[in-house]
Amino acid sequence: MTTTTDRPETKPKRRRWWQRPDKPPSSGGQFLVGQNKATPYLFSLPSILLVAAILGFPVIYGLWQSLYRRERLAAPLEYVGLQNYADMFSSDAFWHSMNRTAIFVTGSLIIGIGLGLFFAFALFRVVQRLRFLRAVTVAPYIISNVAAAVMFRILFNSQFGMINEVLGFFGIDGPSWLANQSLAMLVVILTQVWTDLPLTILLLLGGLMTVDKSYLDASLVDGATGWTRARYVVIPLLAPQILISVIWLSYSTLTGLGVVLALTGGGPLNATQTIAMEMYTTAFRNLEFNQALAIATFILVLNALLTLVYVWIGRKYDYEQ
Amino acid sequence: MSHRDTGSEPAFSTATARAASAVTGRSPEAPRPAGSRLMRVVRKILLALPLIALVAWTLVPFLVTISVSFKERAQVFADPGLIPDAPNLDAYREVLSSESFTTSLVNSLIVGIGTTLLTIVIGVPAAYAFARFNFRGRHLLLLFTLLPRLVPSIGIMVPIYRLAVAIGALDSRLTLIVVYTGMLLPLAVWLMVGFFQQIPREIEEAANVDGANLWGRLRYIVSPLAAPAMITIGVLAFREAWNEFTLVLVLTSTPGKRTLPYELYLMQGIEGIANFPGEAAFTILTVLPFILIYTRIEKYVVAGIISGSGK
Repeated sequence: MTTTTDRPETKPKRRRWWQRPDKPPSSGGQFLVGQNKATPYLFSLPSILLVAAILGFPVIYGLWQSLYRRERLAAPLEYVGLQNYADMFSSDAFWHSMNRTAIFVTGSLIIGIGLGLFFAFALFRVVQRLRFLRAVTVAPYIISNVAAAVMFRILFNSQFGMINEVLGFFGIDGPSWLANQSLAMLVVILTQVWTDLPLTILLLLGGLMTVDKSYLDASLVDGATGWTRARYVVIPLLAPQILISVIWLSYSTLTGLGVVLALTGGGPLNATQTIAMEMYTTAFRNLEFNQALAIATFILVLNALLTLVYVWIGRKYDYEQ
Repeated sequence: MSHRDTGSEPAFSTATARAASAVTGRSPEAPRPAGSRLMRVVRKILLALPLIALVAWTLVPFLVTISVSFKERAQVFADPGLIPDAPNLDAYREVLSSESFTTSLVNSLIVGIGTTLLTIVIGVPAAYAFARFNFRGRHLLLLFTLLPRLVPSIGIMVPIYRLAVAIGALDSRLTLIVVYTGMLLPLAVWLMVGFFQQIPREIEEAANVDGANLWGRLRYIVSPLAAPAMITIGVLAFREAWNEFTLVLVLTSTPGKRTLPYELYLMQGIEGIANFPGEAAFTILTVLPFILIYTRIEKYVVAGIISGSGK
């Protein structure tokens, strides 16, 4: 805390927070004497309490409740220890959904980061001149998952969708995308990536703009051009932004429910039943809330572990380390 | 994000241009494309291809939806082209006159505006306190406010639902407002703290010396300066409330309390024969208002999106 004046130290009169100060508070030690010690707490308390009530408490409550179970719908809650977790790990549906999730997350990461880099490189050269391009780029990020799902159902419709029309133009008989088990997953991945890509592009673009130009000049002197330069100079320099994008995309797909639910609802034949869908189905279709809480806790832990893994891998590629 | 120095000195701007071309893989040492005008045009088109791909990737889903929204139900199958043979507004008329749309539009507006205001009213003072005051427990409390940002909505879905059932708060717009505000606050506080820290203390110190008390400073000094940041968090809060789908799905059940995404979701599911033009028109009507607001204040939103999840 800096003091502005060298005024002699005077003990400020004690003032209650509702009392107006009659003179500028003496800056005895602390800037912006908050008129009262309670002021910062009064300012921040509503926010802290609301966040604790909406985000903090439910997680702890869910963790606690995942140790209980009802044998029947109306039966009282019984403490069962880790039985819900044991049941989860021995259920086929759980492992099926983990399998689907692995494909969903991996596919989204590969397509998302690949397209993100490609589009960020494309935008980088012109974004100063063509600002509207940036505005266009962000559009998918500001619409709801349900709207995106409707758009992609129309786009991939087997009878009149534009994708099949284009395939038909080349003489290919377009498949029924959302009725086919593996193609449905592809459409879900594409939709999820479509809604998440703007943020990835913006993150990578921001990284490109802050890349230290001297590295690039040095690589030019060394004769690196084109793809070599992108691969060995620019992408390593972008490592922090790529890492953040990976963490964020992985989080978004692992915990994302909206796109899957609105697009396929887990179908066809559970082909897109990701772990988040499994949690939702267990809770709100089977009404096994405590079992669902075990799955939700598992998702949170898995997400944290994956983040650690990404950071650990990312450290190896970080130039600054 | 746009802090690139455009460079007044020629030497520096050469370096910048070189760096820019280095990133894109164009070599500045390469001789200028051979004089032929045709070649230059071709070259320009080739360089523009990735950008065209970007625009297509982003806009095609919007375009096909707009296209379908101007067709009749049967026409969708008979005339799959992008530009309808006989465009008409039947689908829009149908949606606009349906109660499910009008009611959920009102609900979405109430929840959206409520969330926006509550987020600003609660988040801004908290951020100011964290940025300007030095008080015991500041770091710990800030951590308690920011860290829950990592909690995904799927982690709180069942607990929030059970709690809402327990206290009888289902089917209430107020519940939605409070829940969305709670979810948005970590981001809002994070953005505002960063912003308040950028406002030079000296401005407030000067006002202090001139006799402005805390409220005077907040009213006449801080608020006007913080307006852009407040717009940013306001837009992000409105976006969350307008688009959120999974929590409203579990927190409401009666028709009169649903928001737009929920109603749109039901429209996909309930109708036996898919009403594609209706869905498309509903989607466009849901998306359009926010897109229109968004284009006005794009730079605030982009700044918010980046700093919100980037750091």
